[in-house]
Amino acid sequence: MIFIKQIFLAVIGVSSGLIVSAGVFTVLISVGLIPRFAGKMHVARRIFVLEEMVVFGTLFGGFFSIFSDWGMIGAFVRGHNLFGSEATEGVWNLLGMLFLLIFGTFAGIFVGCLALAIAEMLNTIPIFARRIGFRHGLGIAILAVALGKLTGSLIYFTQRVFLYGG
Amino acid sequence: MSTNSTTIYIHAQQNVELQSDDVYVKDIGKLTCGDTHILAKAKAVKLHHFKQGEPKRQVISLLKVIEEINKVCPEASVESIGEPAVMVEYIDVNKHKGPLQWIKLVFVAAVSFFGTAFTIMAFHNDIGINDVFTKIYEMVMGQPGDGYGILELAYSTGLAIGIIVFFNHIGGRRITKDPTPIEVEMRVYETDVNKALIETADREGKTMDVN
Repeated sequence: MIFIKQIFLAVIGVSSGLIVSAGVFTVLISVGLIPRFAGKMHVARRIFVLEEMVVFGTLFGGFFSIFSDWGMIGAFVRGHNLFGSEATEGVWNLLGMLFLLIFGTFAGIFVGCLALAIAEMLNTIPIFARRIGFRHGLGIAILAVALGKLTGSLIYFTQRVFLYGG
Repeated sequence: MSTNSTTIYIHAQQNVELQSDDVYVKDIGKLTCGDTHILAKAKAVKLHHFKQGEPKRQVISLLKVIEEINKVCPEASVESIGEPAVMVEYIDVNKHKGPLQWIKLVFVAAVSFFGTAFTIMAFHNDIGINDVFTKIYEMVMGQPGDGYGILELAYSTGLAIGIIVFFNHIGGRRITKDPTPIEVEMRVYETDVNKALIETADREGKTMDVN
């Protein structure tokens, strides 16, 4: 009986994984973010590399968010003194900060692009610009959006808005 | 036969990239004609010259192309079976090679990798995936589980299979011969950009057109 239940769980797991990945990636693809990156940077010939990065990025993120207790790399390194008993603290502080810096920067760029790409997919900016007869200064409007996002993000983290929740 | 043989059919592309600064008719698409002599003459008609310091992009209307061909070959009629306007871009070869290109690739790859990693983590956090799994496990097994079980493992496997099937390749190898979704989207994006550029040039009166 236990065995059948385990199989049932496995079926649920695999199916939800399949549908979640299809769902998440349909959104990502229909927003057309990665073709834009490739187009802007003139690396369209290497689009395979980018797709691979999307695949591995998702698997990486998926692993660390589902098996978060197994992903405690920092605690593991510190606990086992991988860089020697004296150097570990300093080395890992540096490496960890470096990784966080890289992760934060690139994830931020991606989310920023994603947010604006979704806004643009719904044609909010063109429709609004047309309604109010807006012809010049689109650059300023975009800059204002970016600065607004920056300010909002800073307020969110410094004022600890996340503690109060929605 | 006599009328047919002097018709030049021209199939223009939407966008062409050139590495020389002179634009000839043969550069903007494919041509055919019953008379090889006229065909050769038509192909060699010069349409535009990119001067130093000028914009490296020019939209040429097919009407203009037909006019230019007619000037050289008045006896032939020209039929366009392709795009009504073609965008010609002058590409400096050296600019698209070298270490800068690699840096850009690494940059875009890093954004794609960390961005999607963050997205999926945020998604899992949003839906509280571990709570959902604990709930399902309890419902099915009738008792709380300890640590990670079959459900988490199966979900991760499913996620991996889903992505790989969706993107249709793993480790640089295609699974089927279909283009991948990003390749399809890339073409759609290119066409959209070309259309927008051609229409903008038209509206601003920068298209090379007949008067």
